[in-house]
Amino acid sequence: MRIVVLIKPVPDPASAGERLGPDGRLDRAAVPAVVNGNDEYALEAALKLVALAPEGSDVTLLSMAPASAPETLRKALAMGATRGVLVTDPALAGADAVSTARVLAAALRELEFDLALAGVDTSDGVGGTVSAAVAAHLGLPFLSYAARIEPDEAAKAVRVRRISPTGYDLLEAPMPALISCTQALGEPRYPSLKGIMAARSKEIVSRSLADLGIDQATVGGAVATTAVLGTRTPPARGATEIVRGTPAEGASRIVELLAARRLI
Amino acid sequence: MTGPGAGPGDRLTEEQRLLRDAVRELADSRVAARAAEIDRSAEFPEDMRQLLAAQDILALPFPEEHGGLGGDLLSVCLAVEQLSRACATTGLILAAHELGALPILLAGTADQQARWIPRLATGEWLICFALTEAEAGSDAAAARTRAIRDGDAYVISGSKRFITHGSVADLVTVFAVTDPDAPRHRRLSCFVVEVPTAGFAVTRLEHKMGLRGSPTAELAFDEVRVPAANRVGEEGDGFGLALRTFERSRPAIAAQAVGIAQGALEAAVAYARERRQFGQRIGDFQMIGAMLADMDAATEAARQLLYAACAEIDAASPDAGRWSAMCKLVAGDTAMRVTTDAVQVLGGYGYIGDFPVERMMRDAKITQIYEGTQQIQRLVIARALLGKDS
Amino acid sequence: MGALWVVGEPGPEHGLARISTEIATLVRDLAASSGRDVVGIVVAADPGEPAAELARYLPVVFAIQDEAADALAWSSVAAAHVAALATADAPDLILAGAGPDGRDLAGALSAQTGLGVLTNATGVAWADGGPTVEMSVFGGKLVTTSGFTANRGIVTVRPNVATATPAASPGRIEPRTVGGPTLPAVRVVERVSEAGTAAPIEEAKIIVAGGRGVGGPGGFDLVEQLAGSLGGAVGATRAAVDSGWIPYSQQIGQTGKIVKPELYLALGISGAIQHKVGMQTAGTIVAVNRDPDAPIADFADLLVVGDLFEVGAALLEQLRGRSG
Repeated sequence: MRIVVLIKPVPDPASAGERLGPDGRLDRAAVPAVVNGNDEYALEAALKLVALAPEGSDVTLLSMAPASAPETLRKALAMGATRGVLVTDPALAGADAVSTARVLAAALRELEFDLALAGVDTSDGVGGTVSAAVAAHLGLPFLSYAARIEPDEAAKAVRVRRISPTGYDLLEAPMPALISCTQALGEPRYPSLKGIMAARSKEIVSRSLADLGIDQATVGGAVATTAVLGTRTPPARGATEIVRGTPAEGASRIVELLAARRLI
Repeated sequence: MTGPGAGPGDRLTEEQRLLRDAVRELADSRVAARAAEIDRSAEFPEDMRQLLAAQDILALPFPEEHGGLGGDLLSVCLAVEQLSRACATTGLILAAHELGALPILLAGTADQQARWIPRLATGEWLICFALTEAEAGSDAAAARTRAIRDGDAYVISGSKRFITHGSVADLVTVFAVTDPDAPRHRRLSCFVVEVPTAGFAVTRLEHKMGLRGSPTAELAFDEVRVPAANRVGEEGDGFGLALRTFERSRPAIAAQAVGIAQGALEAAVAYARERRQFGQRIGDFQMIGAMLADMDAATEAARQLLYAACAEIDAASPDAGRWSAMCKLVAGDTAMRVTTDAVQVLGGYGYIGDFPVERMMRDAKITQIYEGTQQIQRLVIARALLGKDS
Repeated sequence: MGALWVVGEPGPEHGLARISTEIATLVRDLAASSGRDVVGIVVAADPGEPAAELARYLPVVFAIQDEAADALAWSSVAAAHVAALATADAPDLILAGAGPDGRDLAGALSAQTGLGVLTNATGVAWADGGPTVEMSVFGGKLVTTSGFTANRGIVTVRPNVATATPAASPGRIEPRTVGGPTLPAVRVVERVSEAGTAAPIEEAKIIVAGGRGVGGPGGFDLVEQLAGSLGGAVGATRAAVDSGWIPYSQQIGQTGKIVKPELYLALGISGAIQHKVGMQTAGTIVAVNRDPDAPIADFADLLVVGDLFEVGAALLEQLRGRSG
C-alpha cells in the first residue's frame, strides 16, 4: 500500500503570534512553523494503514512550502513516514488556494500511490477547499471528512466513513483516491526516540516549479486571485466580570446576565 | 509546546527539540507520578528502568552500529534534564548508565564495543562506574584496589565505595592499580567486570539524604579474575581515561541539576499562584516574586551554559574540560539554591512530604558533590585559566 | 455583468440545508447594492422540493436533476454541473456554505473553473464592481476584508452570518440540464444514523460545552441537561473528545468546529488557545471554572468561580424554576 500524505507547515497556533506581512499575506517568518494539526491525523491514519501490510508499503510526505520546511517535516518523518517531497520555489511566495492546488496536483501526478491523504483544513487558512481542488485536477475520486478509512487492496477500492450531521455516510470508490481526513481517525502518535533519530537519514527531495514543468508566471503571489483590501481589529470584548460566592449566587448571576441579554 | 527551555529562541535543532519534547511527555505522563513513592521506598525503580529501556532512552548515548541511537552529548543531557525534572532518581538511571559506559565508548576496542554495547543499548544490561574508594574520593588517583596480572587475566582485589547502581549493574567499570610504582597518574588501569562473578560482592548499601531510589553501593573485590581482554585501554591509561570520561559525564549531572531546579521552580510558581494570604496571591508579594524571578533566571542561565558546554565538548574544543567543569559547578549550586528557595516559598508546606520540594532539595545536594565536588570543579577551571607555573 | 449564484446544499428539511437559506437571504440583499441578478441552483436526484424551498428566498432557481446526486457523493456531482453551467453563464460570484459539502463543492469548482476562493466569510458586500468578503483570522484576533483580483470568484459562508428571511413572494423555478465532464464517481453505499448525534453544532444559537473539568461521560449528563434547558446544543473541548466522553462531531476548536452562537456556556474549560479559536466570537461567553486564573478569564463576559457541578446544578434548578 503506497500512500502520499499532503503536509502543510503552518505557523504554530499555540504561539498566538501569527500576523500579516506588509503585503497583506500571512507572514510565515513571524512564528516558527509546525506541521498542520489535521495533517498529523492524516499521517497517523497512513502509518496505521501501512502497518497492516508493510510489505512494499511506504508513506511519502508531500508539501508545498518555503525552503526552510525540511526542519518542520522532520517530526512527520520521525513519526514514521518513509520520505518527503518538498515543492519549493521563491515564485510560490504568496500563492493562493488556486495556485496551491495546481502545484500540489502537478507534484502528486509524478508520484505513484494508492491513496493520497490530506487534513480537512489548515489552522492558518482554514479554507478546506484545496484537497477537493487537487482531486478535481487529477481526476481522482474524492472522499472527504473521513472518520474511518478501509482500503481493499485486492479489489483496488477504498471505503470511507464520511462524517455527516446524523452520523456518517459510507462511501466507496476505486483506488487511487484522495481522502480528506478528520481528527476522528485517531490521535497521532508521539514520535519515538528511535523514530526521531532515524528521521535524520530519511530523504527529502526538492522539486522546483521548473522541475514540475510549471511556468513561474502562472502561479504564486503575482497572479493571486484574491487580495486583502483592509484589516481591522475586532473590538475587545470588555472586562470579564468574575463572581465568587456560593454556587447559588453564581448561578443567579448567570441567570441575571442571560435574561438581561434576552438569551432566556 | 510552551514553557521554559521550550521556546523558539532556544537554538536547538528540530531533532533535539523533538527529542526533548518526547522525553518530557514521557516524564510527565509516566515518571512524575512515581517520584514520591520511589523516594519513600528507597528502592531502585526497576519499572522506570524498564520504561527507559523500552522507550529507547537508554540507547541514546550509544552508536547506531551497536544498536544505539547515536545521540550527541546535548541529546543525552536533554533527556536527563527532562527526566530529572520529574524524578531525579530516574534521570540518574540514564546519566549513570552513560557514565559507566563512557570508558568503553572512548577507549574500548572494536571487539569490546561489540561485546558490551548492544545489550547496554537495549537496557538489558546496566553498567556502573567504580572509581571512588573509602580513602580515595577527590583524590581518585590514590585508589588502592589492586589488579595483578596473572597469565592472560588480572586478579582484582580491593573495595569501592559510593558506587551508583553498584548493586543493580551487570557490568562494573572498575579502576584498579596495575603499577603501584608508576607516577600517580599512571598507576591505574580500567577493567570491565561482568557480574556476578566469583569474589565480587555488594557489601553495603548507603542510606542517603536524597536520590534515595538510586542504590549507592560498596563493592568488594576478593581476588576477582578478569580476562585481560576486559582491560579497557592500555595499562596505566586508567586515570586519564577517567578524566576524559568526566569531561562528558559532568554535563549529564549538570543536566540532572538543571532538571531538579526546573521542577522545583515550577512547583514553587504553581504554589505562589494558588496560595492566598492577606487577601492576595503570595506570588504577588514582591519578596516572593523576587525569589521566583531569581530562581527562574538562575535556572535558565545554568541551562544555557549547559547547552553551550555540550556544543563545545562535542566539537572537541581544547577547552572542553573547563566547559564541563563550569556547567557542572553552576548547575549544582543553582539546583541547591533554587530548591532551598522553593521550600521557602512553600513555607511550612515546603517542609513536609506532601509536597515535592523537600525531596527536590534533598536530591539537589548531591549534585554539588558527586562526579567531582564543586571544589574540584573550581580547581579544574582555575588551572585552565592559569596554566602551569613555569 | 455576471450574476450572483447560491448553490443549495442537501439537508434534512425540504431537502435543503439551512445554511443555503441563510446565504440566499444574504445574496438577495446584495442584488440591490450590486445591481446583479441573483440565482439559486439546486442539484439533486429529486430537485422539486429543495428548489421550491430555495425559491422562497430567491427570484429564480435553476433545478438540475441528476440521479447521481443521491447515489454518489453530492459535491463532486454538483460541482460538475455547476462548473458546466458557469462556463456557459459566467457568474461573478458563486456562494456555498463553509461546511463540509460547501467546501468540497467550492474546491472542485475552483479547479474546474479557475476561479479563486475566499472562505469562511462572516460578511459579504459589494464594492467597486466586485464582491468584498469579511473573514475572521488568527483565531479571531484580526478581521480582514478581501476581494478577488478579477472581481469574480467563489465564496464559502459561515453559518449564522445571516438570518434566513423568505422573500416577499417566492421566485420561479427553471429546470436546467447541462452536459459536460463529470468528476470521478464516489458511491454512497449507505447513510448511517447514529444515536447521540445532534444537529450540526455550527448552527446552534446556544451552546453549552464541557471540558476536562467535567471529568467523564457521566459529567456530560449535566451539560446535556443544561443545554436542553436552554434550548441549545452540547459542545466539547478536544480533551473531552479524546477521552471518549463525547463524539468528535461536538468538538469545538482548532481541529474541531468553529462556532459563533449567541451564548456559549463553558463548563470546566480552561480556554486554552486551541479551544478559544473555536468559540471566541460568540455573542456572550459565560464560564464556570474552579480556577480564576484560567485563560478563559481573559475573554469571557462572566466567570463564575466554583465547582461546575455545584454551580451547574444550581443553574439548572433556577432555569427550571423560571419556566415554571
